[in-house]
Amino acid sequence: MIEVQSISKHYQHGGKTIAALDNVSLQIASGEIYGIIGRSGAGKSTLIRCLNLLERPDSGHVSLHGDDITRLDERALQQRRQRIGMVFQHFNLLRSRTVAANVRFPLELAGGQSPAQMDARVDELLALVGLKDHKHKRPSQLSGGQKQRVGIARALANHPDLLLCDEATSALDPETTDAILALLADINRQLGLTIVLITHDMRVIRQLCDSVAVLDHGRVVEQGEVLDVFLAPQHAVTQSLLAETGMGQGALQGIWRQRVATPVIKLTFVGEPTLQPVLDKVGREVGLRVNLLSGTLSEIKDTPFGQLLAGVVASDVDVSALPAIFAREGVRCEVL
Amino acid sequence: MLDFDWNLLLEIDWVEIGEATLDTLTMLGVSMLFTVLAGLPLGVLLFISAPGQLRARPRLYAVLSFLVNVLRSLPFVILLIVLMPFTLLLVGTSIGVAGAIVPLVVGAVPFFARLVENVLREVDRGVIEASQSMGARLPHIVFKVLLPESLPGLVGAATVTAVALVGYTAMSGVIGGGGLGDLAIRYGYQRFQTEIMIVTVVLLLALVQGLQSAGDSLVRRCRFD
Ligand SMILES: Nc1ncnc2c1ncn2[C@@H]1O[C@H](COP(=O)(O)OP(=O)(O)OP(=O)(O)O)[C@@H](O)[C@H]1O
Ligand SMILES: [Mg+2]
Repeated sequence: MIEVQSISKHYQHGGKTIAALDNVSLQIASGEIYGIIGRSGAGKSTLIRCLNLLERPDSGHVSLHGDDITRLDERALQQRRQRIGMVFQHFNLLRSRTVAANVRFPLELAGGQSPAQMDARVDELLALVGLKDHKHKRPSQLSGGQKQRVGIARALANHPDLLLCDEATSALDPETTDAILALLADINRQLGLTIVLITHDMRVIRQLCDSVAVLDHGRVVEQGEVLDVFLAPQHAVTQSLLAETGMGQGALQGIWRQRVATPVIKLTFVGEPTLQPVLDKVGREVGLRVNLLSGTLSEIKDTPFGQLLAGVVASDVDVSALPAIFAREGVRCEVL
Repeated sequence: MLDFDWNLLLEIDWVEIGEATLDTLTMLGVSMLFTVLAGLPLGVLLFISAPGQLRARPRLYAVLSFLVNVLRSLPFVILLIVLMPFTLLLVGTSIGVAGAIVPLVVGAVPFFARLVENVLREVDRGVIEASQSMGARLPHIVFKVLLPESLPGLVGAATVTAVALVGYTAMSGVIGGGGLGDLAIRYGYQRFQTEIMIVTVVLLLALVQGLQSAGDSLVRRCRFD
């Protein structure tokens, strides 16, 4: 378990003080993938850099598995960092080293291994990220996705118990992004490794994360399990981030209310009901006819989910009875 | 130039030219060696102690930086003369090739160190940060990241310094340092033996050209692509 206890970080800029982090607290369970999302300048990088103390918070504590790392001295902190992997948006590989030598670098820093042991570990890691054939290349000869694989292999070299990813896919195209995200999910599953990742893209959160925290102006404005946050976003920032990815509330709702003005219902499917013809079934039972206004059908990690917004055209029962009827089918219905 | 008497070339004392060439090469080689030995650490120290850097020591940096500027602002001829007592103390003589090496090094070290500092500043901050995130200590960062990552730039800086040193050696004639530059001044300028001046200038030019192309090809060889 990783515990961030009310950390704050201020920067002086042109005589003004900016609160990059304002009393942030988080609890991250071991083995989960935890996403931190927010707009540019929200303080995401500052927060993740506080988890390995590349940035020292002005106040508050960070403890990893019960050890408060803010209390460690320089030397002990350097030792601890060897087992906290970090992956960067711009890869940050050593140009002067080959792929293999880049992955070997953290092993050299940690010491205590023979060259043969290090080489064996490098081969193992390169196989894990699928770069065996590129061992002797230089970073300049690799594509962005391949560079990030080197970055990930390097971050895993010393068997970390925490992996930090600062916008690890922001410099990559969508297809490469998917491949890298799949690799991270794989690593999380295979190694049971806790991953904290930063992104400004809700799709990354949806594909990969178990929990999410939404950061805005240095504060955590929303946090919880990804499914809950996606299905019932509370804060305006979360809602607008969702809307950008087409997972927000449809704009048609407004027009419907003006021109048709019949009730609007919101149906939320999670898991099995998503795969059943629930709307059709209830429609036949109670003569419900609807006009769809917006909808999302997708999956979060491996859970299918859906959310439909529908204007009621006809119904044999009173609209207020619908929630109970849908509840029988395992679908949540709200009359808006 | 058109009425240049080529027979004059035969009258040139080639032995003296040979000795002068050897003197220049000695001064250059030895002073370059010490310049790198002292300038590289000084450059690294300047880089890491600068404000906002790895081991920021703003006061130390200000002092070092000022000293470097002082030495760089002094004309080399002045340095030669000012340093004579110090040279005498250090190498037992303040004249000749041996006497010239001390001021050459003192003149070139701040120049090279400043170049090194600038080259190191070009190293990607992200890479330094990545190594810190892996638990690298300062010596690791210097020897495994900063120096290897900036190798082409460092070789380039050494080349520029070596060429500058060729120019400095020419002035060491003032203290009887010898060498090609000295020859050019004594014969060519003071005794109007144009032919000697031409020969020495051609030799110096060849030396500078050779240094530059050797440096350039080394830089090409150690680039990372
Ligand atoms: N070293 C610094 N000096 C001064 N201000 C800083 C520094 N680092 C960050 N800040 C400020 O702190 C705030 C948060 O920055 P941070 O880099 O954490 O944002 P972010 O959420 O990662 O943004 P992005 O998505 O653009 O990377 C910003 O207002 C930024 O200008
Ligand atoms: Mg950032």
